[in-house]
Parts: sequence; structure tokens; C-alpha cells
Amino acid sequence: MPSKDMIGRVLSTGSATVTAEHVADFARALGDPNPLYVDAAAAGRGPFGTVVAPPTYPIAFMTQAMAGGMDTFLELGLNFMTLVHGEQEFEYTRPIQAGETLTLTGRIADIYEKTGSSGTLDFVVLETEARDAAGEPVFFSRNTLISRRT
Amino acid sequence: MIPRLDARTVAVGQELPPLVKGPITREDLKAYAAASGDPNPMHIDDEFARNAGHPGVFAHGMLSMGYLGQFLVEAAGVDGIRRWKTRFAKLTWPGDVITCRGRVTAVRDEGGSRLVDCDIWTENQQGERKLVGSAVLALPRA
Repeated sequence: MPSKDMIGRVLSTGSATVTAEHVADFARALGDPNPLYVDAAAAGRGPFGTVVAPPTYPIAFMTQAMAGGMDTFLELGLNFMTLVHGEQEFEYTRPIQAGETLTLTGRIADIYEKTGSSGTLDFVVLETEARDAAGEPVFFSRNTLISRRT
Repeated sequence: MIPRLDARTVAVGQELPPLVKGPITREDLKAYAAASGDPNPMHIDDEFARNAGHPGVFAHGMLSMGYLGQFLVEAAGVDGIRRWKTRFAKLTWPGDVITCRGRVTAVRDEGGSRLVDCDIWTENQQGERKLVGSAVLALPRA
């Protein structure tokens, strides 16, 4: 079971450049036809002058950009066979733009358990903050994972 | 794309224009797995999902949240979401037709923005709610 001593620990960090191709692939997989995501020429004439990313793109970007967290993640001792994504929250200061480099820091924000009729559930809350090259915050993600003890 | 919510007329109780997606196919799940970098076989390998006690593969929660993202952007514009969250209450299956819905719960002004609180959810063709959450949209005050 996850130890509460791990609350506050940095899980992983990383930095990567947002590419128009990665954004367009992600938007197409959602079947989202917004030209600001998939059409570089149209997006260039749009309000941001470049391709911008859909609101759930941070999930794909975090997967691509972050590294080094697996040992800590395994140390949490979650049951991978019963692990589910329980909740997801995003906050933004502005849309993510193609061509910019974002630096991510992911932390273990909380660990708690709930016991009910189906047994004990372990909750782990992961928070990830993205900042741009000027150090300004761009987005924030809070991801609650749940695993049932067996 | 012109956002469909109008800061001048938005009111508590108003429904956001619904968005219908699907029916969801196994190909959609493979495409989402590849584009999002999610390696979990639960969404692409029926045998793996059956061994875990499910009738077969089911959709990524984040695929449905992506549909809700499209729905909110169509309502408020690409820079119109300030924050939002969803709980993955029930699983979404191949064959499900997903409708994204929302209803305005509060309207208030902050600086140059009109902030619109909404309850949001996805439901399938039987009206079963799958993702349930809330959003704060920011519309420019005219």
C-alpha cells in the first residue's frame, strides 16, 4: 500500500517542445475537427498565430515529456491490475501553443484510503505543473488514481 | 469557430449545445492509445481485458474527457476554459454513442471576463451517465 511519507515527493520532471504534428495527431484521435488544432495554415491566421492544443492534450504531452518517475511510481506499491483513473482536473492560464517549450514538474500531492463494502481502495493524487520558457504557469493537472487492494 | 455561448445572454439553467460522438469503435481506442501514448492493454487487447474480469476492452476515460473538451471549446472557444474536472463514474464501451451535455449553474463577473459555472457529463444511448464533472468557462464581456 502507498506510504503517506511519499506525499510531496517529486514524481517526475521533464521538458519538451510542443509540435503541431503531435497536437494534430491527438486532435484527430478525438475526432475533433477544430482547424486551430489540425490546420497549420488556418491556425496561423487565427487568434494565436499558430496551432493550439485541445484541452486534454496535456495528458499526451505529459506522457511524452516526463521521465524518471517509474521507480517512485513503483515504490507507491499500487495494484496495477485494479488501477483506474478516478478523477481528472485541469486548470489553464492560456492555450498551449505549437512551437513552445514547456517544463513539467509532477508531484505526489496526496495519498489516502477509503474502506467500503468492496474492500479498501488506495487513492493517489498526482499534480503536474507546466511552465513556459519565461517561467510563467501554462497549465495544471490533477490526476486521481485508485487501486483496490486484493 | 465562433463560440456558441454569448456572454450577454448566458443564464443559470441554460443548457450547452450537446455534442454527439461515436458509436465508439475498437479502432477509435487503438488510435487514441497511439496518439496519447497510453500503453495500457486494457483498452486494446480483449483477452487482457477479459482476464481482468471485464467483458472486453473499454474506452479510455480520457477519450471521453477529450470529447467533453471538444464540447466545452465549441461552447466557449479555445481560450474559454479556465478549469474543469471530471469523475470517471462508469465505464464506456465500444458501441456506445456518447452525448456530451452541460447546464449552467452560476454566472458571475471577474475583471474583463464573465465566468460561467457548469455541470457537465457524458451519457450513452441509454442515458447512463459515464463521466460527471464541472467546468468554469470564461467569456469575454462584450
